[in-house]
Amino acid sequence: MKLASTAKRAARRFASSLPALFGVLVFTFLLMRVLPGDPAVFFASGPNAGKEEIETIRKQMGLDKPVPQQLVLYLYDVGRGNLGRSLMTGQNVTKDLKERLPASLELTFSALLIALVSAIPLGILAALRPGSLIDHGVRLFCALGVCVPTFVSGLLLIYVFYYLLGIAPDPTGRVDIFMTLPPSHTGFLLIDFLIAGDFEGWWAAFKQLILPACTMALFVIAPLARITRASMLASLGSDFVRTARSVGLSWWRIVVTYALRNAILPVITIAGIVFSTMLGANVLVEKVFSWPGVASYALDALLSSDYAPVQGFVLLMAFVFVIVNLVVDVLYGIADPRISIG
Amino acid sequence: MRLTYSKQMLGAAAALAFVVAAGPLQAQTRAETLRYVTGASVNTLDPNIPGSTREAFAVSLSTYDRLVSFGRKQLNGKWVFDLDSIRGELAESYEVSPDGLKITFKLRKDAKFQDGSPVTAEDVKWSLDRAVTAKILGKAQLLTGSLTDASQFKAIDPLTFEVTLPKPDKLALPNLATVYPIIINSKLAKSHTTEEDPWAQAWLKDNTAGSGAYILESFKPGEQVMLKRNDDWNRGPGGKQAFFKRLILQSVPEPATRANLVEKGDVDIVIDLQASDAQSLEAKGKLQVISTPQYNAMTFISMNNQMPPFDKVDVRRAIAYALPYDDMFKAALFGRGELLTGATWADGKPPSGAFPIKQPIKLDLDKAKAYLKAAGFPDGFSTTFSFNVGQSATAEPMAALLKESLGKIGIKVDIQKLPDAQMSTQITEKKLPFFTEGIVAWLPSTDYFYRNFYTGNQRWNYSSIDNAELTSIAQEARFEADKTKYEADGVKLNAINFDQMPQVPLWQPSQDAVMAPSIAGYTYQFHRQVDYRDLSRK
Repeated sequence: MKLASTAKRAARRFASSLPALFGVLVFTFLLMRVLPGDPAVFFASGPNAGKEEIETIRKQMGLDKPVPQQLVLYLYDVGRGNLGRSLMTGQNVTKDLKERLPASLELTFSALLIALVSAIPLGILAALRPGSLIDHGVRLFCALGVCVPTFVSGLLLIYVFYYLLGIAPDPTGRVDIFMTLPPSHTGFLLIDFLIAGDFEGWWAAFKQLILPACTMALFVIAPLARITRASMLASLGSDFVRTARSVGLSWWRIVVTYALRNAILPVITIAGIVFSTMLGANVLVEKVFSWPGVASYALDALLSSDYAPVQGFVLLMAFVFVIVNLVVDVLYGIADPRISIG
Repeated sequence: MRLTYSKQMLGAAAALAFVVAAGPLQAQTRAETLRYVTGASVNTLDPNIPGSTREAFAVSLSTYDRLVSFGRKQLNGKWVFDLDSIRGELAESYEVSPDGLKITFKLRKDAKFQDGSPVTAEDVKWSLDRAVTAKILGKAQLLTGSLTDASQFKAIDPLTFEVTLPKPDKLALPNLATVYPIIINSKLAKSHTTEEDPWAQAWLKDNTAGSGAYILESFKPGEQVMLKRNDDWNRGPGGKQAFFKRLILQSVPEPATRANLVEKGDVDIVIDLQASDAQSLEAKGKLQVISTPQYNAMTFISMNNQMPPFDKVDVRRAIAYALPYDDMFKAALFGRGELLTGATWADGKPPSGAFPIKQPIKLDLDKAKAYLKAAGFPDGFSTTFSFNVGQSATAEPMAALLKESLGKIGIKVDIQKLPDAQMSTQITEKKLPFFTEGIVAWLPSTDYFYRNFYTGNQRWNYSSIDNAELTSIAQEARFEADKTKYEADGVKLNAINFDQMPQVPLWQPSQDAVMAPSIAGYTYQFHRQVDYRDLSRK
């Protein structure tokens, strides 16, 4: 009963975000056309490409028509699930994104998992002994993680684990090039290898994933750990924890069941935001590890003024953001039954 | 539960057995596999598609054959392509008629497409018709060799093919060896044509239908391409097949990662490292570094000759004498390449008709100031200097030195860094006053350079120079059959170019091919990519 009503309300929430998605779509479309830089000129840059080639490409991209007409055509195409064609890869944007999104999602999920698993205990430890050596240690670690840019930590990890020690495989994409890929079910290699029962492949994919995931995690541990600490401090100092202590409940029950459950809400909020940001903004990690994800795809497209992929990417990110917010709201309800989404 | 467990164990054991069995086999194929990484990516399998990348060109050289191909020669101890030696690829032999108006090709009897059907003159005819008729890149290229119309191509019999020219054009034959005029399996391609797409452009973009040395195994645009050897192919020099059984071409955007990969030996060859990485790898001495000045290319500083103050020739001369060439060369390229300045021309005349040619200019601030005064700008002026983001590794240090040096003669420079698409748009619209760019000619003859890059109101005339004398000599030289007269025309062109100084030549950057010590056969090609068919393992 509760589940059904939650689902219903979630659906209503999603429907109410559709106008925002539409706005994003139109805005990106117009923005791309306002930016200086003519994609036709850029792509017609063979050694002999002249006016005629530029015109051909312009026609191919539909840029010879007036902008309002282009917009209507684009909306019509998007309505049918066609995001246009990328000149850069020569493929349909829908196909490109479908192939690349799982790569980005797999990386981001793993990074978030690593970040949460290390940040929450660190935050709790720091909150249990504020001002102690542990607290300062955590603060130092967080500061280091934030102030080292991801491409520096990425290159550093590659240098140590691949170049010097030779433990990590070569940082070229999602799986060893000599490995046969499993049949694609989910697009997540770790899951697909498991379904195929190929443990060697799973291990190979895991080894490729771990360095970039750690690089991304290092950067986001700080906000998560800090917010856990702050929120835990408030919760540990509250009346109900004092009561729990006074009735002699076990340490575990006090800290985890009572304090943490009450302190977790802001952490979930931040985790949601961190996730959306990581997915779209971690171009540098994707570039350094040659990870075939959506962010580096969008950056390349932007540099060459390839309209369709950029528009498709922004739409996708907006969509993901809506979904993530929805999930966060649902998690709120689970963490604290007093809150309901609607 | 128990059953599933044992099943899993069985699966794992089988997998393990497979690995053990595959172990030595894989080790062997690694030696027979060439792994190449690049910062760019392959975006089409047909090099003719507008927007195709240079990496796509390189793939097409392995998947398709052309009628002819260039031989190679040694230049300063390094192998480079040779424009003057053209050998048959799909053609067994060719003959140019005495008046230079007819080229007759005899096709190889044993040549087969990858699907097993024989290569006939009809296929050649369809492919070349496509190259000059369809709206594709080949059209503009073949134009430079007087190949413009389908009526010029004739299939005499299944193994004889004839090209007719309106004028004896020395670039007609070399043009057929360039990237675009691929020979396509016409039967296969025709079965994928549609009414709007009579030349199967859409299909050929994602599929191959050639007779080349390598067969496509998998193609992920923007990520990787895998190819396996076509064992029937015998069109290498001396009738040999390609050496490597398998090619793996991967995109690795980060240059530092590419350097790590090749140094560790996981990658066999890479050609687009940063100059600093190439230098340090060369210094370490573990790898082979073959560094060839790109003799068909040139980097320059261009000035818009139609836009004040650069419309005054003395301003352009002042700039030419105010740049610290040696420092710029060291800062931008670590000295890897060939400087195009600092020459001495006896009695002020160009020593040869070749192009690009070393200019007799060097840093001389007094001379620069005198020119600036003569131009009517004794106190200098302000301008912006632009370069594109893609070039910033080399252009940024160069721009900083340029700004500092020009400041000394009173020219105030603002540095502007533009995204690549914006830069090319502004160049085409002739809106930039002062910028740096590079050019490359596939068929590097003097008249070709001057006609394409120094004449006409078109994009590639970067400096927008409009000099009637230069234009007429360049057009005339194109059809000049007499070698001495052609050389004299070249000298005249070089003299005008130096006198007018429409843009300042800087250097020819090196192509640094960094490869494992076991790789042999690397040749610098006109398209500035690796021709995988050249390579072998010692």
